[in-house]
Amino acid sequence: MHLLVEFVVSFLSTVGFGLITNVPRRSLLPAGITGSLAWVAYYLVLQVDPGLILPNFTAAVVIGILGNISAMMFRVPVNIIYVPSLVSLVPGGILYLCMRSFTLGHEQLTSQYLFNTLTIAISLAVGFVVAEVIFYRLKPLIKRLVQPDPTK
Amino acid sequence: MTQSISENELIAVCGKVGKILLTAGAETARVESTVEYIGKAAHFDISCHATITALFVGTNRQSDTHLVKVRLGDFNLEKVDEINTASRNFVEGKISFEQLKETINQIDQKVIDFTWPQKIFGAAVVSVAPMLLFKATWGDLGLAFFVGTFGYLAAQLASRRIKTPYVAAGCGGFVVGLLAAGLELLGIATSSGSIIVSALMPLVPGVAITNAFREVIDQNTISGVVRAVDAIIIAGSIGAGVVLGTSLCSIAFHWIGGF
Repeated sequence: MHLLVEFVVSFLSTVGFGLITNVPRRSLLPAGITGSLAWVAYYLVLQVDPGLILPNFTAAVVIGILGNISAMMFRVPVNIIYVPSLVSLVPGGILYLCMRSFTLGHEQLTSQYLFNTLTIAISLAVGFVVAEVIFYRLKPLIKRLVQPDPTK
Repeated sequence: MTQSISENELIAVCGKVGKILLTAGAETARVESTVEYIGKAAHFDISCHATITALFVGTNRQSDTHLVKVRLGDFNLEKVDEINTASRNFVEGKISFEQLKETINQIDQKVIDFTWPQKIFGAAVVSVAPMLLFKATWGDLGLAFFVGTFGYLAAQLASRRIKTPYVAAGCGGFVVGLLAAGLELLGIATSSGSIIVSALMPLVPGVAITNAFREVIDQNTISGVVRAVDAIIIAGSIGAGVVLGTSLCSIAFHWIGGF
């Protein structure tokens, strides 16, 4: 039940950010599904390992692989899938908290939040690199499975 | 046919392609490879160096270099997609150089956008952050839905009127802080902190900072650092805006309570 709610809310989040960043209409649905599956993966890993690195890393790997596959299927640049599906994972809220504590003069909180922001951002970025390495290994196989529509 | 393309024309078109891609939020590596692909398809040996603030295009045969200045802009991923389609068609030989030039001019001038109601709906939906599900109360998340909408609207309206960078984000933060603190002081919301974090989701540069690190890992260090610093300053202006908004709100309530 919890999982379903998480799935729906993260799907809506991803589609909403897609509307803000003007993704082409045909990639809204795959981006939404990628984003929500990544969020579910994040949520599941978080139950086992309540840290920052492993959940974000797993989610980024999921986005990287699914994003590359859907980019191939729908013939869009892969960044167009990445940007909206990242929105529920990225450390935007923490970065804001960091700068807010900076404005208010709380040194300790600032450095802690800044550290968290960097950890999340770097683990996401490394996750993408790993996903791309895996994807290029699997590419010939996936290409046979997912024939892109030649009419598009 | 390819011989009829003059070198200068090709460089100008490539510069335009790069400029559109960079302002619409593509990664620098993608910009460089797209421009070089177009050059290769036109049988010219073009090299392109892109950083986030400037773009150099030149052919390797002569010493002229075309320099295009770029300013950081908002994401507009549909333009990235259209340029990608056009350049792919050109590389595959489906359209001629003249057609490519025309298409790119069209894309440059066309305002590709979702309608206002759609974007506002998008911002409202983003404002309910999955990060806070089961942590904040449902009432707070519901309020964040509306507060986030107003914050996004304020930031958008401000960015049309005020050209000073970073002010628009601060305006968005100000409105969010003001509304959230007001709702808490009126007793409608339980925690203004979770409303603020949730409602700021459409405004904060989280995706930008993640992309910055992706660029650094991709060895585009300059662009990565520029993006990261930009993201931190945007977050700083949002933070300052929120602090201003909340304190203004509590001062106002203090006065009203005093009378």
